Amino acid sequence: MFCEKAMELVRELHRAAEGRLPAFNEDGLRQVLEEMKALYEQNQSDVNEAKSSGRGDLIPTIKFRHCSLLRNQRCTVAYLYDRLLRIRALRWEYGSVLPSALRFHMSAEEYNSECQDSAFLGPESHSGKMDWFNRYKKSLATYMRSLGGDEGLDITQDMKPPKSLYIEVRCLKDYGEFEVEDGTSVLLKKNSQHFLPRWKCEQLIRQGILEHVLS
Amino acid sequence: MFVSDFRKEFYEVVQSQRVLLFVASDVDALCACKILQALFQCDHVQYTLVPVSGWQELETAFLEHKEQFRYFILINCGANVDLLDILQPDEEAVFFVCDTHRPVNVVNVYSDTQIRLLIKQDDDLEVPAYEDIFRDEEEDEEHSGNEGDEGSEPSEKRTRLEEEIAAQTLKRRQRREWEARRRDVLFDYEQYEYHGTSAAMVMFDLAWLMSKDLSDMLWWAIVGLTDQWVQDKITQVKYVTDVGVLQRHVSRHSHRHEDEAHALSVDCARISFEYDSLTRPSLRLALYQHWSLHDSLCNTCYTAARFKLWSLHGQKRLQEFLADVGLPLKQVKQKFQSMDVSLKENLREMIEESANKFGMKDMRVQTFSVHFGFKHKFLASDVVFATMSLMESPEHGSGTDSFTQALDSLSRGNLDKLYHGLELAKRQLRATQQTIASCLCTNLVVSQGPFLYCALMEGTPDVALFSKPASLSLLSRHLLKSFVCSTKNRRCKLLPLVMAAPLSAEQGTVTMVGIPPETDSSDRKNFFGRAFEKAAEGTNSRALHNHFDLSDLRPEVVLAGWQDTPASPGWGLQGGAAWLPHAQAVIELKAEDRSKFLDALVTLLS
Repeated sequence: MFCEKAMELVRELHRAAEGRLPAFNEDGLRQVLEEMKALYEQNQSDVNEAKSSGRGDLIPTIKFRHCSLLRNQRCTVAYLYDRLLRIRALRWEYGSVLPSALRFHMSAEEYNSECQDSAFLGPESHSGKMDWFNRYKKSLATYMRSLGGDEGLDITQDMKPPKSLYIEVRCLKDYGEFEVEDGTSVLLKKNSQHFLPRWKCEQLIRQGILEHVLS
Repeated sequence: MFVSDFRKEFYEVVQSQRVLLFVASDVDALCACKILQALFQCDHVQYTLVPVSGWQELETAFLEHKEQFRYFILINCGANVDLLDILQPDEEAVFFVCDTHRPVNVVNVYSDTQIRLLIKQDDDLEVPAYEDIFRDEEEDEEHSGNEGDEGSEPSEKRTRLEEEIAAQTLKRRQRREWEARRRDVLFDYEQYEYHGTSAAMVMFDLAWLMSKDLSDMLWWAIVGLTDQWVQDKITQVKYVTDVGVLQRHVSRHSHRHEDEAHALSVDCARISFEYDSLTRPSLRLALYQHWSLHDSLCNTCYTAARFKLWSLHGQKRLQEFLADVGLPLKQVKQKFQSMDVSLKENLREMIEESANKFGMKDMRVQTFSVHFGFKHKFLASDVVFATMSLMESPEHGSGTDSFTQALDSLSRGNLDKLYHGLELAKRQLRATQQTIASCLCTNLVVSQGPFLYCALMEGTPDVALFSKPASLSLLSRHLLKSFVCSTKNRRCKLLPLVMAAPLSAEQGTVTMVGIPPETDSSDRKNFFGRAFEKAAEGTNSRALHNHFDLSDLRPEVVLAGWQDTPASPGWGLQGGAAWLPHAQAVIELKAEDRSKFLDALVTLLS
């Protein structure tokens, strides 16, 4: 049946847990686009025939194919848009440098800056996820620089109002060396406790390597 | 060198730096660590805390972290060995050592810059004078210079040569005498191990100097001191003195209670001193407020030994005692908190009177208690037992996990962990008493001549609870006390005890502990360290001195012919280095070497 592939794309994202970004399903997208192309061409020939030979009985078929085309388009756009939203959340979660595992899940193809705006994707367009991410990063950075006078303000820090400058953290797993602002580094080993500036630890706490110790 | 002004020479130095804390695994160190952590958090000093349970861990952790830090603080480890030799630090590394182990190694005392001891100098230290131990090497060089001189005339040269030879022999003889004297002085100094003022009290003093002391910190200092007393590390006199010091602080912190208008809220911790007031002296029974009175009487070493509860006759005496006090058996076997209020009110005086009749004159003990909220009340010894059991319980995987649990339980916000620790402590005390009872009933304690010896077999129930040094030492001390009460042989009452327990089945190792003889006025000095060291050396036993305090000292004893043992972790082979920093009273041995080790010990001590 038509539109099955597109539904699968949507389902795949629906199944993925909140915040996770599954690998970019290039094959699936390509198949959907091919299906759309095939439908379009069939429709094209039918329309021509209907016009020339005046066959009215082809019109329902044409209408049906047109509806499937619209549905396919809607599904693919939903798929891509949802992925973009997840990538945006990644920026807030992980900071400007993404872990390499996540980067592989994104497509790093040629850049298409209009992908977030375009309502209809032609068969040639591959969404350049990495580039979208980079541009989002840049635009966020520009915005942050524009706040707070000369220096700018990092709004990705301190998502909740902080109670103190430094916090006590305990290391849950072996992590290795971790750089502190004045160039020195701290070795994070399991069960060692550290008293570090809050903003340095936030990322690691979110990743589950450090644990905030409340006393 | 000793730090005289703790605030200027220690705190202000580290205040602007990042420091690394090495904390040993005992309750006193935990308390000192909590106090120091609280101070550091107040002043935003960045620190890293690494728990260590033995010399090997200390060394590995030091190697890993030494690039990143310049200032190191060691709590309850490191004063009794030559730190610079073991750790081999860089030139600029500075160590602050706050340790209760004595005697303090002479190198640590006389090192000018790198090692700074946070130890009060009015502790009876008796450090030998500098001239007795160290000697400048310059005088020898002058003589070798003179030998190169050439005399103009042979006769002159000959007389000068004779003079030189005479001078040299004199010098050599003096040097030999000096060295013999030095050996004696060092031997006397390092012969016995003992403990000084609690590290937690030292830290609290620092906090008080800076006027940053809180009642939480005072409570931790109290727990640290009580830990030393529970583990028999300090004499009764010293305990009483230190309790006096802390009591002054307690009255300073709690003067607000009298004034109703400024009364503290229910949730604040209120520390009270439990001795003088007629209504609330404290009993020497372990955990009695969290247990039933009967259980507490049976499982406290003091009462169990005096009543001889391992025998039927002893059980009958216990019943007599309870009847004498006037407590119905049903009440006594209930949880203490559910006992009748009318009984609880005069409980302590009644028990004390009857205890005097039955030969237990020291039922009363000076201690402190804390309460906050409506139902949480703890005696200092309760907290000590709970934390100790948390730290040594075999149920948590690695050593550092238990350390973290124990550290957390000291915070007021983690009462559930403290209660869990109390349950573990009850289990530990019960297991201790049962093991003691079985040892005495089956006559496992035998006299080897100069000391008593007892070995726990592999299949004994709960033997896993006694593999860690503190639990094993507690068991051994209680066993000795019970044995002294049970035996009629007068000579045996004055003997020390050596106890062995299996440590690890796969590696075939045992832990051995040496306890000094039990006397009322003992000064708690332990000579077993040296003795173990010499015996292990003499018999080529494969021994591992890994723990700090009542524990072994690293490094591994490497003796000839040892290189072919299988390389198992912890038995590091350090090619031929026979230097043995001061060993202490707990070591780990291979089971096969046990008998020859014991024979050597017997010959050594007789």
